[in-house]
Amino acid sequence: MKVKNKTFLLARTLIKNGEGLGIKGSSTFAKVSVILVFAIMIPMFMAGIAYLVTSLLGVLVQIGQEGIILSWGIAINSAIVFLFGIFYVVSTFYFSSDVEFLLPMPLKPRQILGAKFLVVTIYEYFTTAISFLPVWITYGIYMGCGLLYYIYGLVVFLLMPITPLAAASLIIMVIMRFTNLSKHKDAVKVLGGMVGVFFGVGLNLVIQNVMGSMSQEQIMELVQKGNNSLMILTSGVFPTARWGAEALINYSQLSGLFSFLLYAGFSLLIYFALLWLGQLIYLPGVVGLSETGSRRTKVNKQALEKTTVKGSVVRTYTLVELRLLFRTPIYFINCVSINFLWPVFLVFPLLFQSQQLNQIQQISEMLNRPESQGMVLAGSFALALFMGATNGTTSTSISREGQELFVKKYLPISYRQQLTAKVLSGFVLGLVSILIMVLFAVFIFKLSFWMGLLILAAAWLPVLLTCLTGLLIDLHNPKLDWDSEQKAVKQNVNLLYNMLAAVIPGVLTFVVLAFSPNLLVTFIALTALYGLLCYIMARLLYTKGVKRFIQLEI
Amino acid sequence: MIELMNVTKTYGSTIKAVDNLSLVIPDGEIFGFLGPNGAGKTTTIKLIAGILNADSGSIRVNGKDLREHALEVKKQIGFVPDTPNMFLRLKGIEYLNFMADMYDVSTEDRQERIQSLAARFGMADVLQDRIQSYSHGMRQKIILIGVLVHNPSVWILDEPMTGLDPRSSFLLKEMMREHADSGNTVFFSTHVLDVAEKVCDRVAIINKGQLLFCGSMEEMKDHFKKNASLENMFLELTESESEE
Repeated sequence: MKVKNKTFLLARTLIKNGEGLGIKGSSTFAKVSVILVFAIMIPMFMAGIAYLVTSLLGVLVQIGQEGIILSWGIAINSAIVFLFGIFYVVSTFYFSSDVEFLLPMPLKPRQILGAKFLVVTIYEYFTTAISFLPVWITYGIYMGCGLLYYIYGLVVFLLMPITPLAAASLIIMVIMRFTNLSKHKDAVKVLGGMVGVFFGVGLNLVIQNVMGSMSQEQIMELVQKGNNSLMILTSGVFPTARWGAEALINYSQLSGLFSFLLYAGFSLLIYFALLWLGQLIYLPGVVGLSETGSRRTKVNKQALEKTTVKGSVVRTYTLVELRLLFRTPIYFINCVSINFLWPVFLVFPLLFQSQQLNQIQQISEMLNRPESQGMVLAGSFALALFMGATNGTTSTSISREGQELFVKKYLPISYRQQLTAKVLSGFVLGLVSILIMVLFAVFIFKLSFWMGLLILAAAWLPVLLTCLTGLLIDLHNPKLDWDSEQKAVKQNVNLLYNMLAAVIPGVLTFVVLAFSPNLLVTFIALTALYGLLCYIMARLLYTKGVKRFIQLEI
Repeated sequence: MIELMNVTKTYGSTIKAVDNLSLVIPDGEIFGFLGPNGAGKTTTIKLIAGILNADSGSIRVNGKDLREHALEVKKQIGFVPDTPNMFLRLKGIEYLNFMADMYDVSTEDRQERIQSLAARFGMADVLQDRIQSYSHGMRQKIILIGVLVHNPSVWILDEPMTGLDPRSSFLLKEMMREHADSGNTVFFSTHVLDVAEKVCDRVAIINKGQLLFCGSMEEMKDHFKKNASLENMFLELTESESEE
């Protein structure tokens, strides 16, 4: 009983120590606007799902396949939990600064792990509530289900994150156990995290492949069978997903109770199995994670002279920004790796699915059609805008300074130069993603070399724009009061604001696209549009932004 | 030379961290700034270093107004903050090179100064390591070297002795003396009376943002005998000293 108490007690403290929406300490305006955004967007999203479910049910009921809504609902949510879980687990189990305080306490590894697992489970509820509740409730109302359906459903909802999260935890724990050996802890942390992410994405692709390998005829046969036979399609991912769905569909029968017990029992079993395993491998992976190796070697004169050559202020400042981004694991994962991951996320699924090869061919043909060249350029602007806006380098660049911001105040260089360097650090990283995008387009989709060059020459504008807006937003609402680096980037709502800000140029790009102009007109229209927007934002940054930087005090 | 004229800084809208403070620290002087915790020492120092903006009053360094010539003033100051935990993921040498670039130090000057300062502070062997791997005292020393690399005429140091080993502490005091004796200004805060007594030419005592005393150590001791409230302050200071 005592064991249980400590786990729950710890979990409660960890949650209280968390930051919620990350708006604590922000101005009232910022708080109100965040709450408004969430209060409008979340119900809209949920209503959208409910509407979709209702219209799908109308069709599915006629062919006796309505159960697929629930099994897909649970399976998709499990997959979401798994993908988010990989990131959550890396940062909560291993990168979080509280680990250092917990290790000296008289706690068993499974208590720390159990508490952290519960914390992540609760974080996941925020996501699954938005995407699962409308499915569950709409189905219940549409099918006129009884009270037992809702009771089962609540338990299914509460236990849903356990299996996928345990799978994510297991992958990460094994990786961290065997990588926490090197002297270069920071680099290993990043590598471990990245391998975990890639493993997760890879696993997802394999699953897609398995499901995709079923032929059209086999699927049609399943559809004709009726009686929710299509549900078998989703069982490959997480076995619990199917049991959960069966429990809900057959809630009024004994088989429903059986599925329900199987679902609940299996989930709990997984949880305790994970704790048992964690007792063995969690601590060796986490102890000494924050140590730093040192060489203690005398620098010879030549080496010293090589590393201490005078450089320009902006160049040196930008390089330091980049060094810190690359060397701080949580910054690397959130700000740097995202630049390389987007192109990979977008293109790899196409590469790894055999039947998609002709899709590549189709895309290639479309990209090279003379009449679609304008569209291709506009599309590359939209993609560059998207990749720029989802990259948090500049939208967290003031926040990342935290309590060290005062250093930037006593340096004898102008605020204008400092802001320029901050924009540059984000811009350089953004350019890498454009370059990868163009390389993929040229080598995989056989885009013409000249078109690739043209995209490179023009699509840096949207990236620059998002860097400028990101920094302006972070200057006005920086999150400086944090005690662990992950709070500066992960729980920073400025990234979301920057994505929202990007909607405006995004819409304008589609307006240009709607007129389906030729390449020359598109080029002129978009470079003029983005050039003007960049000019306005740069002016704002160098006037209002500088003023704001002067006002910021720690 | 540092001149503060009627400087006031308020946090929020009510708490006056520095209240109408006026001070003149001439060239060739080591000036100690004393006061209990929360007295306004760090706020004053941050105002002079340009980290905080004063609500009213003016600050001049070597005759130049901080507000009007911010960058020029900052270039003449070497500032050591009270916490050395910064740029932890940079290597020592990268940090020093960064500071040298920020303060526009030529390649020859920086190489010569980095080598001599690193040797004096016993840091030559760790310059290639990340600051993260340094002990508290070593971090303090790398910050000190970073500040001295541009050879500033005015030193401003916030509790500089904290965490330093006796040898480095002695070395720093010696360097402060040398610096002041060659016609420069050293302004530092401490709440250790013993340090102030041994190093300072003059001291000021601040409490609740107000200047209570400014003069030589001898004058201060005389003053304590006549003034009961200052004597309490003295007790408070010596108490905090014995706690450390």
